[in-house]
Amino acid sequence: MIVANEFYDLAMRYNVSGVPQTNINENAGVVIGAVPEEYMLQELIKVLQEMTIPVS
Amino acid sequence: MAPKLLNDEISAQIRALFEAHLVYPVKLVYFTKKADCDTCEATQQLYSELVSLSNKLSMSEYLLEESPQQAQKFNVSLAPSLIIAGRDNDEQLDYGLRFIGIPTGYEFSALIQAIRMVSVRDSGLTPETRNELAAVSRPMHFQVFVTPT
Repeated sequence: MIVANEFYDLAMRYNVSGVPQTNINENAGVVIGAVPEEYMLQELIKVLQEMTIPVS
Repeated sequence: MAPKLLNDEISAQIRALFEAHLVYPVKLVYFTKKADCDTCEATQQLYSELVSLSNKLSMSEYLLEESPQQAQKFNVSLAPSLIIAGRDNDEQLDYGLRFIGIPTGYEFSALIQAIRMVSVRDSGLTPETRNELAAVSRPMHFQVFVTPT
């Protein structure tokens, strides 16, 4: 948990627009708002899948 | 001495909640800074008051400027930062939980919940989520940005 207004540079770096904003592995996944656990899990799975797809 | 941040009523509530819900000891590791930190002093006071409300809680404090080894060990570069770790005798159980900045308003509740989760050694996640997470072999870094409410 990061208090965005205390660490303005970080908030800028991750383009924090609405809170809570959850960034997964930097900018690989971004979830804005308080979401159900299932939704957060899906975002995590999406990030994982993108990690494993070879860049050709 | 500065006036208390947690008044008697709130303190009593938290004490009762800790008494009812904490199981295993929790170790808080707090990183502060001497300079350029508007919230470090208040954050330190808040955590000290919190630790005094349960004998299951203990806290170590480090100055970020003077403790590069500890900062590196816990991967901390900002202050105020709090690591909420479990404790198993002398062993620290670092679940990767970090609170960076002063947790006020709703985030204060989130902090209490985080302490409770670490103390019961249970994330509270559903079996379906745990099942999916069991297959994750890479480090995943979640950063949750909040503003005081």
